[in-house]
Amino acid sequence: MVGKKEELVYVDKHGKRLDGRKVDEVRPIKIEVGVLNRAEGSCYMEWGQNKILAAVYGPREALPKHIQNPYKALVNYSYRMASFSVPERKNPKPARREIEISKVCGEALEKAIFLERFPNTTIDVFVEIFDSNAGTRVAALSAASVALVDAGIPMKDMVCACGVGKAGGHIITDLNKEEEDADDAVDIPLAILPKTGEIVLLQMDGLMSKEEWKKCLEMGVKGCMQVYELQKEALKKKYSQIESTAQNNEARTEMVSDEKNSEGEFT
Amino acid sequence: MNDVMLDLRSDKIIESLKNGTRLDARKVDEYRNVSIELDISKNAEGSAKAKIGETEVIAGVKLSPGKPYPDSPAEGTISLGAELLPMASPLFEQGPPDENATELARVVDRGIRESKCIDFKDLCIREKELVWIAFVDFYVINDDGNLFDCSALASIAALKHTKIPKIEEDAIVKGEFAGKLKVKKTPILTTFAKIANAVVLDPNSAEMHAMDGRFSCASTEDDLFSAFQKGGRASFTAGDIDWCLETSLTKSKDLRKILKE
Amino acid sequence: MEKKLVIPGELVSEERKRLGGHVFIENGKIYSDALGIVADEAQAVSVIPLQGRYMPCRGDVVVGIVAQEKFAGFIIDINSFYFSFVSKKEIRESLKVGSIVSAKIFEVNEINEAELGDIRLFTGGEIVSVSPVKVPRVIGKNGSMLDVLKNGTNCNIIVGRNGRIWIKGGNIELFLKAIKKIEDEAHLSNLTNKMTAFMEENKTAAV
Repeated sequence: MVGKKEELVYVDKHGKRLDGRKVDEVRPIKIEVGVLNRAEGSCYMEWGQNKILAAVYGPREALPKHIQNPYKALVNYSYRMASFSVPERKNPKPARREIEISKVCGEALEKAIFLERFPNTTIDVFVEIFDSNAGTRVAALSAASVALVDAGIPMKDMVCACGVGKAGGHIITDLNKEEEDADDAVDIPLAILPKTGEIVLLQMDGLMSKEEWKKCLEMGVKGCMQVYELQKEALKKKYSQIESTAQNNEARTEMVSDEKNSEGEFT
Repeated sequence: MNDVMLDLRSDKIIESLKNGTRLDARKVDEYRNVSIELDISKNAEGSAKAKIGETEVIAGVKLSPGKPYPDSPAEGTISLGAELLPMASPLFEQGPPDENATELARVVDRGIRESKCIDFKDLCIREKELVWIAFVDFYVINDDGNLFDCSALASIAALKHTKIPKIEEDAIVKGEFAGKLKVKKTPILTTFAKIANAVVLDPNSAEMHAMDGRFSCASTEDDLFSAFQKGGRASFTAGDIDWCLETSLTKSKDLRKILKE
Repeated sequence: MEKKLVIPGELVSEERKRLGGHVFIENGKIYSDALGIVADEAQAVSVIPLQGRYMPCRGDVVVGIVAQEKFAGFIIDINSFYFSFVSKKEIRESLKVGSIVSAKIFEVNEINEAELGDIRLFTGGEIVSVSPVKVPRVIGKNGSMLDVLKNGTNCNIIVGRNGRIWIKGGNIELFLKAIKKIEDEAHLSNLTNKMTAFMEENKTAAV
């Protein structure tokens, strides 16, 4: 829809947005787990037009040695956009925006990982955006969280993220690019740990009152929880054939069996 | 699989090749499974993902209007860039393109540029003042061997499905296009690995680890070669090269068919 | 009782129980730290992960590969977060880079570095990799699955807890197929019986 900004009705009287969504509706999301065979964990995500690939390596020895932390693992989060993921070609050199996003998203993940179990190591999280239409950082962070689980890294909780904000005077969830371009647009990337509701990522740009923020937080958390359900579903999907059977006990103990007396003979 | 395990594999690969067999049961002149997916990015003017075995590369084309070079006032140009993403392999480090990425980009570039599959005069908007520069950036997302062929495939597939943006008063009109980029031929790059005394087509990552030398050649449907590149420390005999060129002409036809689908 | 599949942060139990693997306590409730299956028994609760690296454990037998030779010892890759260093004084065998060995984990320190002992050299054979979390399935209760594999393939098999299996002789191709099946179905029940049947089918097919 290409119209002059002043004429755009961001939310009409039926509660419909420019792309037909309701004010609290998140764009369609598709999540695939374990898509790369070399990375230890990986996740492919489509969120609206956004196309994102997240991959995890680690914990692996942190080098050079002087950056090692003797008490916990370091998280190295790298958010990058492909040159053709945006309307005007982006130079492949990391931009300041990418560096900032990498920093705050890495910090968001740190709260969710049992870092103290892996001193002197680094957990590398690489996220690449191949197509974009607003909300890439929250989508990337959500995908990264799934990739971490796929890599078998012990976590206290998932990290689920969603954008929320304002356009045309209305508080809306998951702004797309057109909405972000509104004159009064406010964009708030938000990420939480679903179990406790703790906020691990929060940024805002725009002009907004405290009351507006309260509404944003409420809607943003709802959006994050929707993402959480999709992350859960995607992770469990691979194993959805779990049968419930009376032999469940035997199977369980097979997996936890006392291997100490069941090694092969050494000839 | 880490380096130590790959070293173990190398011995087995060399043994196996003495009988002309490969560990994954392929023939010495056989490609792994090849597939192409188009339109990966709506923001790109053209884009494609190529997969050879488990090796995956995504290429995207962005057309930017710019000033022509003074010695070719009525011609646009193409510019190829390679990124070996650290997600693709435990051996890739974050950072600007290193010598491997640079060699990769330049070889893929040569295969396409020298084939004259694109007439740069078609990229002219207004002589002496405005031409199109087609930036083709390809990103390696998973390295399971033979990045060369996969990158070249993704790049040519993206170019063949590139739309030219509409230009009005020297500025791009968003969302409107003036036809497709004319790509008259389809250059295909084929890569061979020299492992001890054997030569095999399309090395996977274990074979890349075992190889001592690499030879790539690009050719078009009229059986003309547009690029050669020998890499690695081993030497090739003239007989090796002949076999590679022959095999390349035959096998590139299969890859070209996949592009047509 | 249904097999419950959980992701990190999901509630596993609200009762007071001994903590097994891959669970943690927060505000009196027990949660999972991994994607896995809940093993909720009378006294203890744990989660059996479906993905993950090898975490060295005292007493484990592992299959290692000699990665480097140093003046005083060898650096051995045991497919974990760190390599292990073994002093030459403690090795009776003649090792070189690339040698495959079996080793016992004597000690593990707070940062998951493993001290190896009982190093024994394998001759010939090859290594098959399997996800470390699936190793208990490859062994089975009291070694039952391992027996099925040995009888079905006639291979010499040593299973390392670190996800490496050394095999020699016998029907190696059948072994590889069997391992893939176990990996794909590790989370399903009745696997030992299924594998016995699988071996039977393939034995007759081979003949």
